[in-house]
Amino acid sequence: MSEWYKSFGNEGDIVVSTRIRIARNIKKIPFPARMTAEHINEVNAIMKKAAANIPEDICGKLMVIDMNSVSDEEAGAMIERHIISPEFAHHRENKLLLISSDESVSIMVCEEDHIRIQVILPGLSLETAYEIADKIDDALSKEVEYAYLDQFGYLTQCPTNLGTGLRASVMLHLPVTSNNGTLSVISESASKFGLTVRGLYGEGSKSSAALYQLSNQITLGISEKAALDNLKSITMQIIKKENLDRAAINKITLEDNVMRAYGILKYQRILSSEEMMQLISRIKLGASMGIIDIDKTLPMRLLVECQPFMLQKLNGLMSPDDRDICRAKIVREHLE
Amino acid sequence: MLCENCGKNTATTHIKTVINGVVTEKNLCGYCAAMSGYSKFVNNGFASMLTSMFGDELATGNIKEHRCECCGTRFSDIAESGKMGCSECYEAFKNKLIPYLKRVHGTTEHIGKKLNKTSSALATVTVEDKKETLRAQMLKAVSEENFELAAKLRDEIKELEGREDNE
Repeated sequence: MSEWYKSFGNEGDIVVSTRIRIARNIKKIPFPARMTAEHINEVNAIMKKAAANIPEDICGKLMVIDMNSVSDEEAGAMIERHIISPEFAHHRENKLLLISSDESVSIMVCEEDHIRIQVILPGLSLETAYEIADKIDDALSKEVEYAYLDQFGYLTQCPTNLGTGLRASVMLHLPVTSNNGTLSVISESASKFGLTVRGLYGEGSKSSAALYQLSNQITLGISEKAALDNLKSITMQIIKKENLDRAAINKITLEDNVMRAYGILKYQRILSSEEMMQLISRIKLGASMGIIDIDKTLPMRLLVECQPFMLQKLNGLMSPDDRDICRAKIVREHLE
Repeated sequence: MLCENCGKNTATTHIKTVINGVVTEKNLCGYCAAMSGYSKFVNNGFASMLTSMFGDELATGNIKEHRCECCGTRFSDIAESGKMGCSECYEAFKNKLIPYLKRVHGTTEHIGKKLNKTSSALATVTVEDKKETLRAQMLKAVSEENFELAAKLRDEIKELEGREDNE
């Protein structure tokens, strides 16, 4: 399988990707905020050994990456591909990352918890992603003495993750509902189910690419299955709403909006990442609605590969001005 | 306003620091903020909510400075940071924690996946269980005429029995 942003999964017109994260800790070793260098080395050694014993039929062989050897640019590109968190990148000294060859599975060692198992798949794929994460968790539990209490479940550094330690999320492309104001209604009803909506690739709640992340918040007193079922059911409702709203837009207005974005992207010479995200969002909508005939995987691939660090990873280091010119060229070439 | 760091993107993260009455302001774009470790406040709503809840407790000075025996963390440290010190803190500060868990999760009982203790190599398997497993492996080895392995297993069983006698 290839990386999430290069594939088109179930419900891919709206659901860009599914992510499962499971937080685990090792008994009696201080949590990351209180760890000394010796503690980090100890956990790294435990995890290196444990990773080697994860059956290869789950996700192939996991590569061990010493984060000391990762440059700022590469770390930034990992954030943009959603492999690691900004916190992990920033405090990566002496840390370890375990990663599968297709990058669908990554394990951050000593991020906010000792072990953060992450599975990211294209499209809506909650069951499959959870199944993979669960198998890895089972394999690790045989190698590592987990911090666990019958009453509280899996113990985490922050009590907000206590219990299942599960954070499941879907990344949604909602260009229409986010534009007509119904998104706030959606996020209000999602919060009643212990779910939260936030903007991605943009700060705060507004997203420049109309990408939103829906995820569960409650981890204690709810089973993994119930949390995933809630998330799936709300996701399906949001898909339905976005599709209804898409169908209700005046056809010529929509076509005009999409074709203008398409036209600019085909002929521009300087493209900032902000403008790129806004325009790519519009051609993604256009591709979904059959207004333009482009490869449906292309918008997300461009959106990720044209982020500042990814752009430099793939095309070499360059100044911000040169980046905008390079980004313009890459997008143009792909749309020719 | 442009980001002070890269001078390229729009500054969307504004950080105000007050140290000894001197106010400094930083205006960064999302990437530079994330790379400088400032992205935390953006999505840390729950943790800060928890911290502020513990804050009530801090203000009233109700905290006895009892420390976790494993990592030395005090409850006031947890209250300030919103972070537990280690796995043992959950036992050490259980009673203080329960009201907060109720407010955050609405409950205090885990009903999800259980840690399968018997499948864990490191979990508390009784000596008798271990001996039983080894005996079965030894018999299997004998039936397969793998006497070298059988002898090794026999020694392991003897060693376990020796340990039992010493206890």
